[in-house]
Amino acid sequence: MNRIRIREIVRKEFIQLFRDRKNRPILFVMPFIQLLIFGYVVSTDVRDVKVGLLDQSRTRESRLVRDAFEGSPIFRITHRADDPRELEELLLRRKVDIAIKIGPDFSERIRKGETAAVQVLADGSMSNLAGVRIAYTLQVLEKLNQDFIRELVPQRIDYGRIDARVRTWYNPNLESRDFFVPGMVAVLIMIISLLFTSMAIIKEKEVGTMEQLIVTPMRPFELIFGKTIPYILISIAQMVAVTLFAVFWFDIPMRGSAGLLLLGVCLFLISNLGIGLFVSTISATQQQAMLTTFFFIVPFFMLSGFVFPIENMPLVVQGLTYLNPLRYMLVIIRGIFLKGVGMTVLWPQYLALVILGVLVFAGAVGRFRKRLD
Amino acid sequence: MLINPRNIQAVARKEFYHIVRDYRSLYMAFALPLLLILLFGYALSLDVDNVKVVIVDQDRTELSRDFAGRLDASAYFDLVTHLPDERAAVAWLDAGKATIALVIPPRWTENIRSNREAPLQVLVDASDPNIGAISRGYITSFVEQFNSRLLADFLSRQGLENLRPAVEGRVRVWFNEELESRNFIVPGIIAVIIMIVGAMLTSLVVAREYENGTMETIRSLPISAVEFLTGKAIPYFLIAMTDVLMALLMGQLLFGVVMKGSFWMMILASSLYLSVALGLGLFISIATKSQLVANQIALLVSYLPALLLSNFVFPVENMPRMLQLVTWIVPATYYIDILNGLFLRNVGMSYLWPSYLVLLCMFLVSAAVAVVKMRKEGL
Repeated sequence: MNRIRIREIVRKEFIQLFRDRKNRPILFVMPFIQLLIFGYVVSTDVRDVKVGLLDQSRTRESRLVRDAFEGSPIFRITHRADDPRELEELLLRRKVDIAIKIGPDFSERIRKGETAAVQVLADGSMSNLAGVRIAYTLQVLEKLNQDFIRELVPQRIDYGRIDARVRTWYNPNLESRDFFVPGMVAVLIMIISLLFTSMAIIKEKEVGTMEQLIVTPMRPFELIFGKTIPYILISIAQMVAVTLFAVFWFDIPMRGSAGLLLLGVCLFLISNLGIGLFVSTISATQQQAMLTTFFFIVPFFMLSGFVFPIENMPLVVQGLTYLNPLRYMLVIIRGIFLKGVGMTVLWPQYLALVILGVLVFAGAVGRFRKRLD
Repeated sequence: MLINPRNIQAVARKEFYHIVRDYRSLYMAFALPLLLILLFGYALSLDVDNVKVVIVDQDRTELSRDFAGRLDASAYFDLVTHLPDERAAVAWLDAGKATIALVIPPRWTENIRSNREAPLQVLVDASDPNIGAISRGYITSFVEQFNSRLLADFLSRQGLENLRPAVEGRVRVWFNEELESRNFIVPGIIAVIIMIVGAMLTSLVVAREYENGTMETIRSLPISAVEFLTGKAIPYFLIAMTDVLMALLMGQLLFGVVMKGSFWMMILASSLYLSVALGLGLFISIATKSQLVANQIALLVSYLPALLLSNFVFPVENMPRMLQLVTWIVPATYYIDILNGLFLRNVGMSYLWPSYLVLLCMFLVSAAVAVVKMRKEGL
């Protein structure tokens, strides 16, 4: 292998890449816009639950129910209804997330020592949010219950109760951002490295300069290295820029080692470049290459645990995720950012990336060489 | 200006050949939507069940064992193992093998029996905030329930066993009784598919003519901008509508996601939304004249907003105010609102007409902008 020949093709690639002004926004602006969107948008927290209330009792007891919800930081009574129809209408028009109905005999029953029902209607359309909202609603009612009992029973009730001291680790404020932004760094690296590697080779084919490259004394391996090295460098530069942006703009804590992250990205790039090369061997035009790349990106994205947890998937699909390099990269990048864990925990992920990378890259190079010969 | 149907037909036929000849476009048009529906219906879920719990029991009494036993019996939790100390529990959380670690401290039962508060340490892995929040909700309501039991014990010891709880929440879940995330994700994915086929695929079609140099030829033909763009759009319209029908059918047959509302209202909404997507895709294509750039811009302004800024999986109400305003101009927001109405809430036009109206306006604007831009390019 000749170092000078590789260097020259790397230089040519850089010149071509930056000379084309249309590439600049894709390389420099797009990643940041995507990161911004993800940083601000993606959140499945339950914070501000809109409550519609129908109080047919209008007594001190029913006001206690209202106060209990208004006193909670999560709930906000946004609408009051005068009859059941109106309450249901609020749910149908998506004005409220939860509708609460207090019947006319509410306080009467409590005063008699009976159990009074509070009807809770929950909009279940977004089931994950609805589940949490219902759990919070029941908690408010449970606490209210204990207040009522204290009031009804003359003697002091100080029973031994469990005080659950919940600490949420790794992400104490349950910030979705801390979870998604590091993941997005990995996704961006994947998109750019996959797309540009295949495009770089396809352009030579489309314009017809591939023939010229073949007749030069350049070896296939030199061509492959020359064509991929620029994108390795760009991806690493991008990782650094995007990571800095995540840390300084979004205040995402980085608890682990930056060196380990860099190592992870380099290993991750091997598989991506391999896939990029492979796409370039099966496509003839830019359009084909783009569509094929997209065809890889979508399942990689969906089956990586980026948004949808892998544990929830059926076993067969869980098996498939082991073929997805992004899966391992996400565990690494989140482990380093959020948990601050090191090689002792993450080594299986690194090992998997090495094995997958070597296999994919070797396969793609084999195919690529055959096409050149 | 007269519109000649034969011109439209000719362009549509040419575009149709392009798609059929390149199996990759067909992939993108049919296989990718199929894959997405299968993935979303079958494999991807935001629901959390069987939260993995590890327990460190330093109390080792009948009560603490009863607590652990009830936890394991609950449908929400899966008690993985008992561990000797907190360090071991943290290691399990670090490795991601458990989501919740419970530490029952020594003298726990003693505290409870002598009517004092007994702390229970709960560590929740919140690195995935969705799972973290749901797990936290589950565990706190589990502890609350256990407390009610302790209160009942206490009251019976005090001779007050016939005291009943004063209030009881009777929860009924509407629109999605089983609380399955599939029921809102499968309709939502139709919105994403339409954007992929309608905007991402069409964003390539005019740019391709420019890059191949065939635009010059088209300019010299006696064809107007409206005819040209309509012809380009028709094949993709048909493909996307086929995808919609496919998604409806698969959702119903494979995943039991049944549309409660009217079929024709669904078709009307889909056609409107799809037309917006086509207008958008064609406009991007004309404006950029480069397939790579068009593809990336289409990704940014059509696919990602449909996925992220549309109330599909991520609630708009959690977004910062500025971004909430942005969601108002995302077509998918209105389409998903309609789908929610038709699939889950089973409401009719009297509830949904504002969303239809917005989609109609968006269609008129996007089509007009695309045609004007095309005319400026000399067609």
